[in-house]
Amino acid sequence: MVEEENIRVVRCGGSELNFRRAVFSADSKYIFCVSGDFVKVYSTVTEECVHILHGHRNLVTGIQLNPNNHLQLYSCSLDGTIKLWDYIDGILIKTFIVGCKLHAVFTVAQAEDSVFAIVNKEKPDIFQLVSVKLPKSSSQEVEAKELSFVLDYINQSPKCIAFGNEGVYVAAVREFYLSVYFFKKKTTSRFTLSSSRNKKHAKNNFTCVACHPTEDCIASGHMDGKIRLWRNFYDDKKYTYTCLHWHHDMVMDLAFSVTGTSLLSGGRESVLVEWRDATEKNKEFLPRLGATIEHISVSPAGDLFCTSHSDNKIIIIHRNLEASAVIQGLVKDRSIFTGLMIDPRTKALVLNGKPGHLQFYSLQSDKQLYNLDIIQQEYINDYGLIQIELTKAAFGCFGNWLATVEQRQEKETELELQMKLWMYNKKTQGFILNTKINMPHEDCITALCFCNAEKSEQPTLVTASKDGYFKVWILTDDSDIYKKAVGWTCDFVGSYHKYQATNCCFSEDGSLLAVSFEEIVTIWDSITWELKCTFCQRAGKIRHLCFGRLTCSKYLLGATENGILCCWNLLSCALEWNAKLNVRVMEPDTNSENIAAISQSSVGSDLFVFKPSEPRPLYIQKGISREEVQWGVFVPRDVPESFTSEAYQWLNRSQFYFLTKSQSLLTFSTKSPEEKLTPTSKQLLAEESLPTTPFYFILGKHRQLQDEKLNETLENELVQLPLTENIPAVSELLHTPAHVLPSAAFLCSMFVNSLLLSKETKSAKEIPEDVDMEEEKESEDSDEENDFIEKVQDTNNTGLGEDIIHQLSKSEEKELRKFRKIDYSWIAAL
Amino acid sequence: MAAGGCGSGDPLAPAGVPCAFSPHSQAYFALASTDGHLRVWETANNRLHQEYVPSAHLSGTCTCLAWAPARLQAKESPQRKKRKSEAVGTSNQTDLLALGTAVGSILLYSTVKGELHSKLISGGHDNRVNCIQWHQDSDCLFSCSDDKHIVEWNVQACKVKCKWKGDNSSVSSLCISPDGKMLLSAGRTIKLWVLETKEVYRHFTGHATPVSSLMFTTIRPPNESQPFDGITGLYFLSGAVHDRLLNVWQVRSENKEKSAVMSFTVTDEPVYIDLTLSENKEEPVKLAVVCRDGQVHLFEHILNGYCKKPLTSNCTIQIATPGKGKKSTPKPIPILAAGFCSDKMSLLLVYGSWFQPTIERVALNSREPHMCLVRDISNCWAPKVETAITKVRTPVMNSEAKVLVPGIPGHHAAIKPAPPQTEQVESKRKSGGNEVSIEERLGAMDIDTRKKGKDDLQTNSFPVLLTQGLESNDFEMLNKVLQTRNVNLIKKTVLRMPLHTVIPLLQELTKRLQGHPNSAVLMVQWLKCVLTVHASYLSTLPDLVPQLGTLYQLMESRVKTFQKLSHLHGKLILLITQVTASEKTKGAPSPGQKAKLVYEEESSEEESDDEIADKDSEDNWDEDEEESESEKDEDVDEEEDEDAEGKDEENGEDRDIASEKELNGDSDLDPENESEEE
Repeated sequence: MVEEENIRVVRCGGSELNFRRAVFSADSKYIFCVSGDFVKVYSTVTEECVHILHGHRNLVTGIQLNPNNHLQLYSCSLDGTIKLWDYIDGILIKTFIVGCKLHAVFTVAQAEDSVFAIVNKEKPDIFQLVSVKLPKSSSQEVEAKELSFVLDYINQSPKCIAFGNEGVYVAAVREFYLSVYFFKKKTTSRFTLSSSRNKKHAKNNFTCVACHPTEDCIASGHMDGKIRLWRNFYDDKKYTYTCLHWHHDMVMDLAFSVTGTSLLSGGRESVLVEWRDATEKNKEFLPRLGATIEHISVSPAGDLFCTSHSDNKIIIIHRNLEASAVIQGLVKDRSIFTGLMIDPRTKALVLNGKPGHLQFYSLQSDKQLYNLDIIQQEYINDYGLIQIELTKAAFGCFGNWLATVEQRQEKETELELQMKLWMYNKKTQGFILNTKINMPHEDCITALCFCNAEKSEQPTLVTASKDGYFKVWILTDDSDIYKKAVGWTCDFVGSYHKYQATNCCFSEDGSLLAVSFEEIVTIWDSITWELKCTFCQRAGKIRHLCFGRLTCSKYLLGATENGILCCWNLLSCALEWNAKLNVRVMEPDTNSENIAAISQSSVGSDLFVFKPSEPRPLYIQKGISREEVQWGVFVPRDVPESFTSEAYQWLNRSQFYFLTKSQSLLTFSTKSPEEKLTPTSKQLLAEESLPTTPFYFILGKHRQLQDEKLNETLENELVQLPLTENIPAVSELLHTPAHVLPSAAFLCSMFVNSLLLSKETKSAKEIPEDVDMEEEKESEDSDEENDFIEKVQDTNNTGLGEDIIHQLSKSEEKELRKFRKIDYSWIAAL
Repeated sequence: MAAGGCGSGDPLAPAGVPCAFSPHSQAYFALASTDGHLRVWETANNRLHQEYVPSAHLSGTCTCLAWAPARLQAKESPQRKKRKSEAVGTSNQTDLLALGTAVGSILLYSTVKGELHSKLISGGHDNRVNCIQWHQDSDCLFSCSDDKHIVEWNVQACKVKCKWKGDNSSVSSLCISPDGKMLLSAGRTIKLWVLETKEVYRHFTGHATPVSSLMFTTIRPPNESQPFDGITGLYFLSGAVHDRLLNVWQVRSENKEKSAVMSFTVTDEPVYIDLTLSENKEEPVKLAVVCRDGQVHLFEHILNGYCKKPLTSNCTIQIATPGKGKKSTPKPIPILAAGFCSDKMSLLLVYGSWFQPTIERVALNSREPHMCLVRDISNCWAPKVETAITKVRTPVMNSEAKVLVPGIPGHHAAIKPAPPQTEQVESKRKSGGNEVSIEERLGAMDIDTRKKGKDDLQTNSFPVLLTQGLESNDFEMLNKVLQTRNVNLIKKTVLRMPLHTVIPLLQELTKRLQGHPNSAVLMVQWLKCVLTVHASYLSTLPDLVPQLGTLYQLMESRVKTFQKLSHLHGKLILLITQVTASEKTKGAPSPGQKAKLVYEEESSEEESDDEIADKDSEDNWDEDEEESESEKDEDVDEEEDEDAEGKDEENGEDRDIASEKELNGDSDLDPENESEEE
């Protein structure tokens, strides 16, 4: 028996992946992206999430690789900390407590012990770029309060800050000006574009900035779709810029390739543009990426790019502009009209996805399965265009039928409406369009429902519309001499006193149809389509309508806009009970009598679970979400749970998912966080022992042998053979230009001597050291040629008396050096 | 969960390649094909997840594979009320996949990272690895090989923990007991080992051929009363190469029984076996056996003791292609693997070719003894190069789909014949009418023939053509007639056409009106003419409403946008025609017959005009019909603009025919009959 904890609200599907630029690991194997309070590590090959780095207590706002150790990652968060992670194992190494809200983090290889961050300290709208000194300490948590101010009054977005040319300067853009701060000079230059007062340049605003990795060049993106390349900005007056113009709408992000030879840009057009050599002519495109490009990043190795899109996906793109992988979260781009549905076939959650698509989301594996293209028209992503919206969808007959309604309304009188009925073809395992109905109603369709009774012999669909009618569509035989076919036709049109039909719902056995007309609920016999009875409570328009199930099938529930929940008894045709509850979402459980209702109050949303037979709720959970809950659905469990306590029994056979206004998908879990976490420690820890490749056999073994030999020689004999490269005399001989060398006879003895083993073992080491010292001296007083010669002669003289071999070689070297030196100066004089 | 088809046999066989579903939710299906590639498929959306080619894929092809038991990886944290915190749903992320090769090495492949994790070689096998089993709890891996040895590996350190000789011949299969303390191994005989001491605990006779699969079928003994030591009383299953019997054995406390307890019979050598473990005594064991011939056999049996007769399957599943046309016969599609879903009520089937298999979830219906699924995998056969990577599926939209636009039958509910009681009245009336009109009918025929004979001038052939066209439904002929633009010609043709063709003509016109707007423009002229000329005849038809309902709906939907304008237009036209008509009648005194006709026409138009219910003789109209008819007339009126006067030119003929029409209409319910008589 599972120990029962409190029921908690947990999130499914994760947060946005496109909040900030994704970051590649140094070897391009992994990609990191921020996601809510977490940092997620994905494999670029398999699109799988390898690790989730959790530890921040608020939204993570920025991530950067540690430039000094590419196996480490910095992340910053609104909770005021910078954390350092080991991403390979998913371990938190260190936490630096800064203390104020951090909006972005930047690292520069040159500034070893500090990182840069965007903070706002005093006023809420004023952001500053500061340098944060990270103290070196062995403890896990370190206070990093040493902030030094770099730039003030900057844009909040990290896209508007870029460090250029190995950290020599930083460029920041805001509104109509670009400011460049030079670290060495500690000065700021500001370049302003003509502002909005000039009509021609009304949309000159800067949107993003990127710096060339090696040259002094800044690229800036603008609202009007232009990209400007700034050069020579060291001079306040002589600066120049060139324009690149392809985008017709705002440039969302810019990135230079690692070598700086090409510039990548993207925007609302969903086209990744690669500008080669910063010229307008050399462009390459990767079109049809599906949604607005929000961010672009480039892997340090230079082989991969990635684009983050507004529909919550990251596309990994090869250097040759071919998409290689897609990391797709729950699509959150657009508003959800269809509500949450369960595909009876795949058990996947179905809702609006990409524009014109239905997305199928697997709740079991918490992954998006695919998007089903319903509208099948090229999507033109442009501001102000009124798109065809997929407004309603319903599955019927155990997933064999799918009905979709699409609508486009440019003006009030110009409604375009289309209903499509798709049949699941078992042979080809896919949906096939069966019937397309243009303008099924005169006005918007408000509700769509299939009759899902088990023994219904004829598939039936009901559509309710604002034009005051509801239509019953049935599947009929459409065969002719050419083919056997079935098709949908309208069977019945019903109305009630010209009221707008707002909801429709079939009873569980399919014998009754309830249609609500504003405040009135009408009950129709589904065989003869006769109006059986009407219920009217005069308590406002009906917002939700549903029949009870199983033992409660004699009840009909309606929730009105005035905050009344009514329950009618269908046998006595009387009101059974009503309750004052402002119901936002009402969902019946298919596996039990339970009905879940979510009410909305000023503080938040509350959940009530009840049976229609009694007006007393089985379970109440207050404050499930602070936002408005828009949709909910019961998902049947594959394996039923066995909660014994009465409060949790409603979760035994089904699980309840709901979607809030900000499109986070939430559910209820009874397991404690500890319980969920413990198995992690049990995770299979298999040591990585990589296989030996032929290269290993060729190179690795050889090297190993060499190492061993060296070690052996070191151990066995103290005297070692100096390597030829290490002998200064030899190197001098080899590196000095032939025409300045003295005669071979002169050098011969010196050369041979240098190869001889000196008596003292350490002499070999001493020599280079001496030379170094001498060199230093030389550099100091290279002008004093005379002195130097004297000195050399001096050493020559003294050397003769003592250890001949040693000193001789040394003196000879000096002489050689002298020759070179002289010669160089002589050439320089020319 | 299940051991791959580790049976030996020729590598080119369609079925029997090493493959396995990932444990728990069966999110992935790994298949090591004979070309040395390892492919991992997503079962939920039938998509190739990843492909991996081991460096030595040609020399050491994969002989068996096994998924590591799942470990929870994703974490969940509570959603705090104040902050926007996040919890990630649980996912039993499976990662490591162990591959045994023909040269004796074992590869550990990480499916999350998509790369080789480690390679177990040193001290291991020096011949083909036959089977790999992961230990459920500890990080251990057991493998057996053709070199007669069983090796226990420490995965953490990638080292051999223990190696012992398992048999005198090659060891072909392994299975670990549910409690993890015993190990079954099989060459020709089956041995049960105590893992701790590596001693043989029991011997089972086994099969005549090498055992290819071993599997424990129960986790609890059948007799609950006895103390359970973890192994005694358990059943296990074994299948062998070229053996059409699966044997079930029971581990007994006393070491006496050496033969199988029972056996299942299948049609061919089993290549993939999956089962649902029964957790209590009442629950039957469900067994899915994929045979080399590509069929799946399902068994459902409560294991309780000895059974002599081999059991046959409860259900057999086969998959075949649809035979295209009559000539080609359906071909069977081999099933590669089958795994039970976690709800135990549906089965994941993998079928097709191994390089492009299709994975489908099939709900099990235990009542049917034989299931043959027809699947079209023709588009899967061609090995296609992966194009752009998208996660979008496009459902098929072809021209075969039915299209309903407003006005086309089926878009709106069909107008049904009037309720039964009024019908009775009608029928009475009809019968009365019939009696009267028998002689008239003859007369009408006469007139008809007379008229035909009188066919003259330029319009001579058109009515004939039209009649013939309508009767034979000849498209060409109808086109010739209906595509004329000459208004006068149309009028004359309509006037001269036999009455019984009016309804077919209207239906033909309706059909054409639904078509292309260009042709519809021409049809409007015809429609106008027919309705003005034959309105009186039409109004007498009792079953007019169901017959012309679609036309009415079509017109209604077409003129919807300009409803008010058309109302006004219709009224004005009516006024004008009335005035001209009255003038004409004044000018030329007409015989009684003629006057009758004019009266009829007017009355119907008047009705339509202001919808004052002044009913005359036509009391067979119930309310709905009347409304519809009147509106229809209105629509017509709105269209009849210029030919209001022209209509009266042929007054004489018109009247003659009209009178016949009336008679015909009254006398004859079925125009087709009439035409035949003619």
